[in-house]
Amino acid sequence: MNADRFDLGGGEPIITLRDVAKSYWREALEIPVLQGIDLEIPRGAYIALMGPSGSGKTTLLNLVAGIDRPTGGSLEVCGHELNALDDDQLAAWRNAHVGFIFQNYNLVPVLNAFENVELPLLLTGAGRGERRDRVEEALALVNLTDRMWNYPRQLSGGQEQRVAIARAIVTDPDLLVADEPTGALDAKNAEEVLALMARLNSEYQKTIVMVTHDPKAAHHARHQIHLEKGVLDKAVEVNR
Amino acid sequence: MRWMALIWKSLMRSKRRTLLIVGSLILSVFTVAVLQSLLTTLDAVTNNPNSSNRLVVRHKSGLTQMLPRSYEAYLRQQSEVETVCALQWFGGYYQDPRNFFANFASDETTLFQTFREEFGVAGITEAQIKEYLRDGAGCIVGESLAQKNGWKVGDVVPLTGTIFPINPRLTIRLIYKSPKPSDENVLHFHYKVLEEGVPRMKGLVGSFWVRTHRPEDIPRFIERVDRHYANSAYETLTETENAFNLSFVKMLGNIGAIIQGITAAVVVAILIVTGNTMATAIRERTTEIAVFRAMGFSAGRVLALLLSEGVLLVGAGGGLGVLLANLAAGGVRESLGVAMPFFADFAILPDTVLACMAGALGIGVLATFVPAYAATRRPITDGLKAIG
Ligand SMILES: Nc1ncnc2c1ncn2[C@@H]1O[C@H](COP(=O)(O)OP(=O)(O)O)[C@@H](O)[C@H]1O
Ligand SMILES: [Mg+2]
Repeated sequence: MNADRFDLGGGEPIITLRDVAKSYWREALEIPVLQGIDLEIPRGAYIALMGPSGSGKTTLLNLVAGIDRPTGGSLEVCGHELNALDDDQLAAWRNAHVGFIFQNYNLVPVLNAFENVELPLLLTGAGRGERRDRVEEALALVNLTDRMWNYPRQLSGGQEQRVAIARAIVTDPDLLVADEPTGALDAKNAEEVLALMARLNSEYQKTIVMVTHDPKAAHHARHQIHLEKGVLDKAVEVNR
Repeated sequence: MRWMALIWKSLMRSKRRTLLIVGSLILSVFTVAVLQSLLTTLDAVTNNPNSSNRLVVRHKSGLTQMLPRSYEAYLRQQSEVETVCALQWFGGYYQDPRNFFANFASDETTLFQTFREEFGVAGITEAQIKEYLRDGAGCIVGESLAQKNGWKVGDVVPLTGTIFPINPRLTIRLIYKSPKPSDENVLHFHYKVLEEGVPRMKGLVGSFWVRTHRPEDIPRFIERVDRHYANSAYETLTETENAFNLSFVKMLGNIGAIIQGITAAVVVAILIVTGNTMATAIRERTTEIAVFRAMGFSAGRVLALLLSEGVLLVGAGGGLGVLLANLAAGGVRESLGVAMPFFADFAILPDTVLACMAGALGIGVLATFVPAYAATRRPITDGLKAIG
């Protein structure tokens, strides 16, 4: 264990947060959820973001992934100052740079595995043949080539999450964000999914930020950081 | 997968709901198309371009009152007049009272000139007309009427009178073709048959149909004729043929207002049904929409996808509704067309088709846009939290 201040390893940062804050308002009452978040995450990192329920983990992840806007501070992610992008630019940015992995997989029930994985490619202008190649490659990577034509209801939870991971990586994004990716899985399937994510980090150099409150899951990451009542704990745990 | 496939699969998510929307659109577009076509059919009756220079002179007190046939001489003397045809509704039937068709006793000498468009005079030879003029007990019938009853030239048609106590036996001398189906469901016979067979009709007739040289002549002519016979024993009411027909249409009541009322009610009802159904469908997809947007689909793109679904649904429903209405129009011509000559011309006109499709698409866009727009305004993070 190491208690260095925010030493997530050297290298060029892919995520830089400066004094990021997020508040909600209930009528006139300000409810601060995140305060004074300063964080640099280098390219190729695999971070587990830990903390008790309600501490602001999901809120922070959503800000980094560009599906939410901060009420203070600035975020530079994958080379873009997110505050400077309008909603449509931000959408295009997400398509190019971010892959999402959700707790509930969030596959489209009326599309089969192939079509679910193909979805984000529809926005890229890739031709039919190129899309097919990339979908097949992504599904092979998650070991589901034989389930390509199955619909989500015909898959187990672990398989669904692997399809979702294939969907997240099919556009070859720099950054993967995962919010409790094993929260709905049994231990065996959780292990499989975590091993897959570790491989995406080590073999494919994906930067991964994973929110979890499960210490076992967090141990698959290279580093763990902690959020407590909306404030980042300066201590960083290094797993390996 | 192409965009179209994505839209199609989304539509097939709930087949029951898709069928509900398509079905209710079929029903309502069908209803509106048929009703509006009734209106245009009736409009056509009262706006017949062929009759733009024709007039009807009749008794001021109503259609059952007769005018002296001697009026014809005065009408003919007017400089605007090309020809005059004395004409009386006979109201007879063939074999069965339910077997209705229009039949008239008319002045055979001016009939063809007065109604040359209706009789398709170009297709009739001099010799055929002479055949009819020569036989005082002859008659002429339209082709569709002849076909319906299996009549040929030379056949004898016994008519049973209902208004007049005679049952003339008429020999078909001419079968004519007409540009409009309703004009073929008609029989004419010599006026003398009525005048000589019914003593009280001696020297009298129900109406004179006057053909003027030019439509512009009509107003002056009307005014002069009615003034001429004012305060006489037989006062006249002169009006254009279209106005005359309108008085029949009006007997059906204010059908226009009723039809527009029903149309408005149908439009409102379908808008509510479609709007509600689309709103529910889109609300159930809140999480999915958020996921699409997280993956990089812009709000505009999601809106376009949802609108395409709505437009496709109502387009299918509207198209099928119009198609069914067209099939039904054939049925109306066959059935109602027999009892009411107007309806022999019943058809769903291209304008009606266009209006119905535009209306359906408008409803689709509106019904989808409201919930779809709201869904794309919602923060993505909210959508992801929703239980989907
Ligand atoms: N849309 C919102 N409106 C008001 N409060 C919110 C909203 N979203 C989250 N919060 C609050 O922000 C805090 C942090 O939420 P969250 O980031 O989801 O926590 P975690 O993921 O760590 O459990 C919670 O107290 C939650 O109630
Ligand atoms: Mg959370």
